[in-house]
Amino acid sequence: MTLRAGAFNVHTLLAIFAGLALAAGAARSQLVGSAIGGEKTRLSFWNGFTGPDGIVMLDIIEDFNRANPDIEVTMQRIPWATYYNKLTVAGADQRGPQVFVVHSDALARIRRAGFIADIRDIFDRGDVPAGDFRPSVLKEVSFGEARLGVPLDIHPQGMFVNREMLSAAGLKGPNGEPRAPRDKEEFLQAMSAMTQEAGGELPEKQWGFALTFWGNNLRSLIPQFGGRYLDEEGRAVLDSEENIAALEFLASLAKESRVPPPDNGLGWFGFRTARVGMVWEGIYMLGDLIRVQDVDYIGAPIPQIGPKPGTLANSHLLCVREGLSEKERRAAEAFIAFLSQESLRWAAAGQVPARTSVQQSAEFKGLQVQSAFAEQLDTMMYQPRTPIIFELGLELDRAAERAIRGLAEPREALQEAHRNIEAVLERDRREHPEEQQ
Amino acid sequence: MSWALRRKLVGWACMAPYLAFFLVFIVVPIIVSAWLALVQLDLANVGASRFVGLQNFQDAFADQFFWMAAGATLQYVVLFVPSVIVVGMVLGLGMHAMRRGREAVRALVYLPSMLNVAAAGILWQWFFNNEFGLFNSLLKRAGLPAVPWLTEAALAMPSICLMSLWWTVGGTAVLVLAGLQQIPRMYFEAAALDGATSTGVFRLITLPLLKPVLLFIFVTTTIASFQMFGQAMILTGGGPAFATRGMVQFMYETAFNGFRFGYGASISWLLFAGILAFSLIQARVLRSQMEA
Amino acid sequence: MKRSLISAAMIAAGLLFAAPLLLMAIASFKSEAEVLKPTQLLPTEWKLDNYQAVLENSIEAPVLTWFVNSVFVSSATTLLVIAVSSLAAFSFSRLRPSGSGPVLNLVVGAMMVPGQLFLIPVYVLLSRFALIDTPWALILPAAAGGFGVFMLTQFMRSMPVAIEEAALIDGCSLMQMFWRVTLPLSSPAVATLAIFTFIGSWNDYITPMVYMESVRNYTLPVGIALFQSSYSTQYGLTIATSLLSTLPLLILFLIFQKQIIESMTASGLKD
Repeated sequence: MTLRAGAFNVHTLLAIFAGLALAAGAARSQLVGSAIGGEKTRLSFWNGFTGPDGIVMLDIIEDFNRANPDIEVTMQRIPWATYYNKLTVAGADQRGPQVFVVHSDALARIRRAGFIADIRDIFDRGDVPAGDFRPSVLKEVSFGEARLGVPLDIHPQGMFVNREMLSAAGLKGPNGEPRAPRDKEEFLQAMSAMTQEAGGELPEKQWGFALTFWGNNLRSLIPQFGGRYLDEEGRAVLDSEENIAALEFLASLAKESRVPPPDNGLGWFGFRTARVGMVWEGIYMLGDLIRVQDVDYIGAPIPQIGPKPGTLANSHLLCVREGLSEKERRAAEAFIAFLSQESLRWAAAGQVPARTSVQQSAEFKGLQVQSAFAEQLDTMMYQPRTPIIFELGLELDRAAERAIRGLAEPREALQEAHRNIEAVLERDRREHPEEQQ
Repeated sequence: MSWALRRKLVGWACMAPYLAFFLVFIVVPIIVSAWLALVQLDLANVGASRFVGLQNFQDAFADQFFWMAAGATLQYVVLFVPSVIVVGMVLGLGMHAMRRGREAVRALVYLPSMLNVAAAGILWQWFFNNEFGLFNSLLKRAGLPAVPWLTEAALAMPSICLMSLWWTVGGTAVLVLAGLQQIPRMYFEAAALDGATSTGVFRLITLPLLKPVLLFIFVTTTIASFQMFGQAMILTGGGPAFATRGMVQFMYETAFNGFRFGYGASISWLLFAGILAFSLIQARVLRSQMEA
Repeated sequence: MKRSLISAAMIAAGLLFAAPLLLMAIASFKSEAEVLKPTQLLPTEWKLDNYQAVLENSIEAPVLTWFVNSVFVSSATTLLVIAVSSLAAFSFSRLRPSGSGPVLNLVVGAMMVPGQLFLIPVYVLLSRFALIDTPWALILPAAAGGFGVFMLTQFMRSMPVAIEEAALIDGCSLMQMFWRVTLPLSSPAVATLAIFTFIGSWNDYITPMVYMESVRNYTLPVGIALFQSSYSTQYGLTIATSLLSTLPLLILFLIFQKQIIESMTASGLKD
């Protein structure tokens, strides 16, 4: 069952593969190009900006490199899905990047690996003024006196609204322009008004609202009901009445068929193709929306469903690796200060800048979606700082999914998640006795 | 230097490069993996690593995600292995019966196997899409309701099997065909002279003589199916609600996203044990059937 | 009569298997709006926009770099696997130093261990050798596979030794004999191994996904998977990209389909 002998020459075969490997190797060094030599201080900067946001970031870095001829920053993009595993392993191996991005909710987990440097001097020297951040944002990088990073941005969840479909809702702003619903009543009413059966001009059913990433939809509502994930002692409180109320609202939308059925898969995609009028998503999705030409949209805060306004927030933090040379460390801090200053440009990619001075700038206020999402800064809630954040996320996502699909009552789903998280916390205590005082 | 000695030295020298790779990338990893399964190794906190004995295995048995992954893997194996063998047999027999054009059909059936799993997955994700996928568009045109191929828990795994079937059954069919071509023609001719019916020929001649090939296909397909990974990663990411997250994906995510390398290693040993047990039972059952 | 019926059915089945690829190729020339209407078979206007967009977007999706990486990794892997396996097989089948029998058994026995078991420990080792995120992380572990050694040993054992003995009598050294006689005589098996290794390496998904870090070091399968995750809603683009990633193999297959199928049959490859 093998090939006939004599059909070709084995030496030729080997030569072909050798030639291919050499040619590709040469092309690789051209394309990937490992820059060597020179007096420059080289910094590797890792992040997960694999979408259009990465292009904006590259642009900013190019400017930094031009302005600092003695420093050369190269950016390495790794999809978020695998980012933390790559970062942590590399960091633990002492071969990680000099500068890297960590989400605020992941910091407590990654900190355990012990490679994130305390960069409080960058604040102390005033290169990045600590007073230019909200205390709630600065708290995310603070562990005691130490500062483990500089917040680059804030990315709350908010609402994207299709402007054309919004006019059907009949809500009017001060100048008579259509405005997004602000509370539960307006929201439900707008949802129904914007939902239209197929027929006539409309080839397919149009939905007023669709759930997107169910776990984050739930996390956006939890603060509105005053819910939490962990209490002050670090015990799980996932099955609190507040959390259950938040999940019940989402589940009721699915149950009452106010949103596309869970199996339908019209979420963000539906919004993007103008078949869904409103979605709750992270501000970073703006980057994707900019690529779409024929949808006219606005940003708005998440309507107040619970007793108070609120939403989920997260931040990209700029961190530095432990154990850099003095020169590298200075270069890294200069780079971080530069990014922080340039955060308006970064905001254009779909972010709220972390610096309050930038948030108050006229340029930022001119960014409609970003500034609408920024209205939530006072009421947004970060996820808890806990080393079991990934497990917590998994359980919460699963509980949301089960309840929305109708596989379990919201209470039941959260109670199960709660029990599982208690077991995870127990395991974490067992595995990390050194952290128990 | 004597001829025998030189021959011996050259012999070991020729083996040395391969053995070096074998040692470093097969032998050492097996030992490392066995050690990892017995320690608690948190990559994000290497300092806290310590020997925990069989704790990782106990954790696995108490972990509902482990059982969900085991269930998903088993579901895939049970759905996929029989279907790939039946379809592969039918295609192989069909090709064997062709007088002309056999090679062309063989190439067409084998063509999908040339795709990498990401390309095949992207293609099928497009077919499966609820709203504008090929399948639902055809159903809609026929006036039938849309099917949530990948988004409903009960359907997602069968849908993945369908894609896998298209992607890999060509290899099975080609193997069956090769097996059939090795059966001497005179057996069939003799049976025809004796006036055997075609079912009789199949049952008494084709099947028994094909059994070694089928056994091979059965065992290799089963082992491969237990390790299904890429299809679910691309098509569903393991969802909905972890319904399609198999053991390898669970192991990968535990070790690399959860940083629990020790626990991850223990899962890979449990999967290995499962594969081994399954293969042994399979081989025994098939052998006894063959002898009967 | 019955046979022609079977033939017709089989040709239909063959076309059914190839149809998805054809649809894929056609869709890649459609506009985004028409991709979403799959029941419309042909595009109203054949457009190269998708390909243009993919190739121009080299920052987000450096497809060319991924392609070059794939060529490098697959060729180097194939070369290395052939080199070490054929030398080892030469030793196992011809030189047979005492003690090599049990070693061969060990090598063949290790083939029973499923690949997933190696994922974590090999990662740990590669990370110790600082090879993570380099092409060598994909190339070097592949050379440890026992399949090539096993197959080439079997093949060499089945070859008559007379020609090789004559070469020795003519004054060839053992290594000259390997290079000039044994290896060329094994060319059918070597070609089988080459095809098997190259395709396996080209299509590998899990290893680069785990061992590579930066986007610029990706090979095509992980690259297009990344592309899909960030452009999940733009099917025209993702389909054009996946087609590009498969094109080299599809072309090779059209030319060498007989050899490729026979090699894959010989190696009993399952995904």
